[in-house]
Amino acid sequence: MSFSAVARKNTDTLDRRYAILGTVLIAPTVLIFCSVILYPLVSAIYLSMFSIYTPTLEGGWVGLDNYTSLLASGRFWNALGNTLVWTVGTLVLQIVCGVAVALLLNQSIVFRSLARSLILFPYFLSTVVAVLVWRWLFNDLYGILNHMMLWAGIVDMPVNWLGAMPNAMISIIVVGAWKYFPFVVIAVLARLQTIPDPLYEAARIDGAGPIARFFDVTLPQLREVLTVIILLRAIWDFKEFDLIWLMTGGGPINSTQTLPLVVYQEAFGLNQMGMASAYAVTMMIVMLAFMLIYLRQTRQKESI
Amino acid sequence: MTPKGLSMKASRRQVLQGMGAAGLAAAAGTLGSTQRASAQDVTLRWWSPQSSPAQLAAYKTQIAAFEAANPGIKVLFEPTSDEGYAPQLAAAFASGELPQVITHLPSFAVQTYYAQGLVEPFDDVIQAIGTDKYYAGANDVYKAADGKYVGTGIGNTAADMLWLRRDLMEKAGIGDAPRTWDELRSACQKMQGNGVYGAPLPYGLNSMTSLIFIGFIHRAGGSVFSPDLDVAIDSQATYDALEFYKSMQELCPPGATGYSWGESLTAFVSGATATGIYAGRVLANVNAQNPGIADQVTCVTYPTMSSDIPAWTFNDFPSVFIPAGAQHKDEAKKLAAYLFQPPGYIEQLHAAPGHVLPVLKTIAEDPAYQNNEIIQKYPEEIDLMAASAAAGHNLGYETPEHQSNAKAGEIIASNALAEMVQRVVLSGEDAKAVVGDTAKRLEELMNS
Repeated sequence: MSFSAVARKNTDTLDRRYAILGTVLIAPTVLIFCSVILYPLVSAIYLSMFSIYTPTLEGGWVGLDNYTSLLASGRFWNALGNTLVWTVGTLVLQIVCGVAVALLLNQSIVFRSLARSLILFPYFLSTVVAVLVWRWLFNDLYGILNHMMLWAGIVDMPVNWLGAMPNAMISIIVVGAWKYFPFVVIAVLARLQTIPDPLYEAARIDGAGPIARFFDVTLPQLREVLTVIILLRAIWDFKEFDLIWLMTGGGPINSTQTLPLVVYQEAFGLNQMGMASAYAVTMMIVMLAFMLIYLRQTRQKESI
Repeated sequence: MTPKGLSMKASRRQVLQGMGAAGLAAAAGTLGSTQRASAQDVTLRWWSPQSSPAQLAAYKTQIAAFEAANPGIKVLFEPTSDEGYAPQLAAAFASGELPQVITHLPSFAVQTYYAQGLVEPFDDVIQAIGTDKYYAGANDVYKAADGKYVGTGIGNTAADMLWLRRDLMEKAGIGDAPRTWDELRSACQKMQGNGVYGAPLPYGLNSMTSLIFIGFIHRAGGSVFSPDLDVAIDSQATYDALEFYKSMQELCPPGATGYSWGESLTAFVSGATATGIYAGRVLANVNAQNPGIADQVTCVTYPTMSSDIPAWTFNDFPSVFIPAGAQHKDEAKKLAAYLFQPPGYIEQLHAAPGHVLPVLKTIAEDPAYQNNEIIQKYPEEIDLMAASAAAGHNLGYETPEHQSNAKAGEIIASNALAEMVQRVVLSGEDAKAVVGDTAKRLEELMNS
C-alpha cells in the first residue's frame, strides 16, 4: 500500500469518526427538539382526528369531522375575530407606547437609570397579581378609577369596565399593553443606543427637525428590530390565555372569548380533547399564515 | 495525531464512562431510596375548593390527628377552586396523577365522573362512618344508577338564601321579608339609594350565574330537564324567570354583569347591596369584616314567582369521594371516614359556621357543635338553612322525581345557561329565540 493510499484511508477513517462524533453531538438537540416540539405537534394533529373524553382519554376516530364542525360553528369565527381584535389592538398600543418610552429613556433625563429599571416592573409582575390589581382598579363599587371619575363629575354612575362591551375589550387591550410594552422598550432602547450620532448630525445639518429626524433616521434604523418585536409579540399575544381568562373569562356573552379560551373550555370544561386539539391546530395554521404574509411583506419592503 | 490525541480520546472515553457509571449509580440510589420510602410511607393528597384560612386551620388539625393515629401515612392538602376544579380534575384524570381524597365538590360532578368509571364506589366508607348517623335520605343524591353510592356529603349548603338587612328594611318601611318576586323587586327598589344597591345577582359568564339561574327557573314552576332528562327549558317558566332576572338588573351594581360567588358575597357583606344571595358564609364574614351590620342580618329562602310555588333551594351537596385510579385506596378510605369523626369534623364545620352544615344528625345534636358563637347568635337562620339545604336540589338532582343527571357538570362548565342569561338580559335578544338556541345546545351536550 502506497503512502498516499494509507494517508487517504486514514483521512477517510478520521472523516467517518468526525461524522459519527458530529451525529452523536447533535443527537441530544435533535432528541430534545423531537420531544418538546415535534411530538406535541404531531400528537395535537393526531388527537384532533379523534373524539376524546379528556378525563379518560378514550374515544373514537372521527377524521376531519372536528374541523368541519369547527369551521361551520359561529363560535370559531367569533373567537377568531375577538383574537384578531385583541392581538392587533394590544400590539399597536404596545409598539406605540414602547417606542415612545424608549425614545424618552434614550434622552438625558434625571433618574434615567431608575426609570429604566422601573419601566420593566409590569413585565416582571406575575400575570395573576397584575390582573388582581387591575380588577380591583376596575371594580364598580370600590375601584379607584370609578371613584375618581365620579369625583371629577365625568360620570354619574360607576362605569362597568369588564362586564359590558366595548369596555371589556378595551380594558383587556389596555391591561395587555401595560403588561407587555416593557419588552418593546428594552428591545427598542437597545437598538437606539447603537444608532450612530453622525446620522443625526447630518440630518440636523440638512435642517431636519425632531419629527423629521424620527421618521427619516430613527424609524428606518429601528425597522429590523421592530420586525422581530412585532413577530414575537404577535405570536405571544395571539395565544394569550391567562390575562384574558382572569380579566373577563371571555365575557360578556363571549365578546372577549379568544381562541385559547375556547381551546381551554373544550379541553377541560366540556372534556372534548379532540375538538380542543382541532381548535389548537387551526390556531397554529392561522398564526402561521399571518406570519408568513407578514414576513413576506416585510422582506418585499426591505428589498425595495 | 499522535499518542496525545489517542490519549485524549481515551481520557474522554474514560470520563464519559465515569459519568455514565456515576449517573447509573445515582439513578439506582435514587430508585432504591424511593422504593424504601414508598415501602414505609404513604402520602395521600387531599383536594378541596373550600380553603378559607379558618378551614385550612381545621384541616391541618384533622390531618395531624389522622397522621398521629396512622403512622406511616402522610396527608398533603391541596386547595383548588369552585371555578377551577373541573379543569384540574380533568387533567388529573387524564394524566393519572390523582389525589386520593376529594372533598366539597358538588354532587353532580361526582355523578358525572362515576358515570365514566372514574370514581370508586363509596358504600364501605359510608358503612364505616355509620349509616345510622346520617339524616334520613342524606345520601340519596349520591346513589348511582347501579345502586352504589358514588360518594357522601361532607356537609350541606343552602347556597342561594336571600340575605336581608333589618335596618334597611325598617328604614324603607318594609315589614316582612319578601316572599314573591314582585315583593322582592319592590323591596329592592325601596332600599336602593345612597350608594346602596338592591341586590347582587350574578350576570357573569360563569358557573354561579348558571347555578343560580336554575333556581329561578324552578321558582317560576319550571325545570331545565324533565324527570326523564329530556330538555324542558323551553317553557313559560324560563321566560318568566328571564323577565324577572332582567328587571332586577337595574337594581344590581353595574359590575354584576361579571359577578361570581366572591363578588356577590362581598357586595352584601360590605354593605353595598341591601340584599344578598349566598350561603351561610355571610354570617362569619359579616361578623369578621363588617360587624356594624352583624346584628341586622337575617335570611329567608329565596322568593318564588308566586306564593303558590314552593321554595327551591340550591344545595351543591358538598361531597367526599375517591377517584377510581388513585393509589392507596384503603388508606384513602380510612382518611375519608376519619374526616367525619369529632372533634375534627366539628372544628371543620365551625370553620365555616352555617355555610357547611352537618350531614350527620349525631353531630348536629352534639353540644360541642352547638358551642359556637355564630351558631348560637343566629339559631333561626342556621335552622332554616339546615332545613332548606336538606330539602335542596341542583342540576344533577332537580327534584326527587328526576333521574340523576351525569351531564350536569359539563352543562355548567359549558356556560350555556349563563350565556342565555347574558344574551337576554345584557344584549336584549328575543327570549324565545335565545331559549330555543339554549335548548338545542343542551340537547347537544346531553348527546355528546
